[in-house]
Amino acid sequence: MSVFTKLTNIDRRVFYWILFIALMVPFLSPIGFPITIAENTQDLYDGITGDEVEAGEVWIVNFGYGVSAWSECHPSTTACTKALFREDAKIIIMGTHYDVELTYNKLLDTVSEDFAGKVYGEDYVFLGYITGGESAAAQLASSIRSVYPEDHFGTSLDDIPMMDGIDSVHEIDGVLSSDTGDWGGHFMTQWQSAYGTKLAEIGIAMNASTDLPRWIAGNFFGVSVGSRGGAELEILVGELGEATTAMDSISVSHLLMVFAILLANIGVLYDKYAGGNN
Amino acid sequence: MAYPTATFDVIGLWIGWLLMLMIYSLPLYKENVSYRLAEYLFIGVTLAITLITNFSNVMSMAVDPLMGGDILMIIPIILGLMMFTMLIPDYRWVSRYPVALLVGAGFGLGIRGTIKPNLQDAIISTITPPAGGGALEWFNFAYIAIGLICSIMYFLLTIEHSGPLKAPTRIGRLFIMVGLGAYFGNTVLFRFTMLTGRAQFFLQVLKIIPM
Repeated sequence: MSVFTKLTNIDRRVFYWILFIALMVPFLSPIGFPITIAENTQDLYDGITGDEVEAGEVWIVNFGYGVSAWSECHPSTTACTKALFREDAKIIIMGTHYDVELTYNKLLDTVSEDFAGKVYGEDYVFLGYITGGESAAAQLASSIRSVYPEDHFGTSLDDIPMMDGIDSVHEIDGVLSSDTGDWGGHFMTQWQSAYGTKLAEIGIAMNASTDLPRWIAGNFFGVSVGSRGGAELEILVGELGEATTAMDSISVSHLLMVFAILLANIGVLYDKYAGGNN
Repeated sequence: MAYPTATFDVIGLWIGWLLMLMIYSLPLYKENVSYRLAEYLFIGVTLAITLITNFSNVMSMAVDPLMGGDILMIIPIILGLMMFTMLIPDYRWVSRYPVALLVGAGFGLGIRGTIKPNLQDAIISTITPPAGGGALEWFNFAYIAIGLICSIMYFLLTIEHSGPLKAPTRIGRLFIMVGLGAYFGNTVLFRFTMLTGRAQFFLQVLKIIPM
């Protein structure tokens, strides 16, 4: 049995152990792989900063991801929230994932310095969780109060100063949808396409093949793809954070994967053409 | 984010760390009791949270307004209750009405918003040549155009893929394979990113790296 054949027959648990340990090494000793800014991320950043956002504009930030996807989505959401607050925009935070409260608390923690000068109910509001998919997105466009009679803490929206005069898509200046599913798509069909609302997507890497064509087509003014997008946004915002720290580890995992694929293919080709045993 | 100091937070952190290891004992070792325990616990807790969250949602969106005098809210409540007839074989047919309403509403809403962004905008962006782009932009344009046309031709199922259709449909199949491969690759890498998050958490709880 050749060395290549032996390598292709390694117990998968060995690979998992190597992977798990290798992922930890960059956290202990950072490598510092260079990070370049992708055009779609730059467009996202440009769309929520500078002349594109005026003080007092009202933006929706949608948490459509759970705790398990924090490493993918949360760095980008954090960076975008910072950017919007620095432009003095007002933020409506809503959630389409049932553990949205945990994500909201994490946001308060990770953006604590930016939240420090902001007042709940005047500069930002947390509406909580909704279910209902595309129907809910459409109803939200017609009347926010019909979907959210009160905020997450039980306060009627009519008693929240920031929500005074804000009840439909026409009073919302932009939407950032961060999700592991297709809530970006729901906002696209029911908000961006129907009313021309500015819309950007903070998606997981898995959805890049869906999100990027929508950015190219102009439906999303920008797209952040996974942790990589988060690291790029952290650089643009000027505050390195979780994603930048994790990028080395993610790069190592990708390199290991490429190495494993190459090894397996060499083994198969060797067996096929060089007289292996299989 | 700092390492928690409150007793309950610290206990919660360590329970999370332990449960994570119990789950990873399956791929790193083999099927075992601790993995099963963590798996069942995860499913149970997730189900409980989902139930409570959705129950609260129904209460605040429909029941409370109904109690407050919004009589129209009785309609979605009745429709929702009709769904539960699925559990009774003799009356299962009743559940078809709310399901039909849901499908119809979803389909109508979907069609209203889908045609422009998912068809019109996508086609326009595909067939619009790059304005003053370099060689790479033109290559991408041609690549996408050829890929799109050939992939669509692959799904011409009413005509045999022979003669003039043989070459483009084969190219289309290759493009589809590349597309699915890229999608699968992105899926795997997304899972790796989640694993990276757990590796970081593993070290943070042990205070090897800052939280």
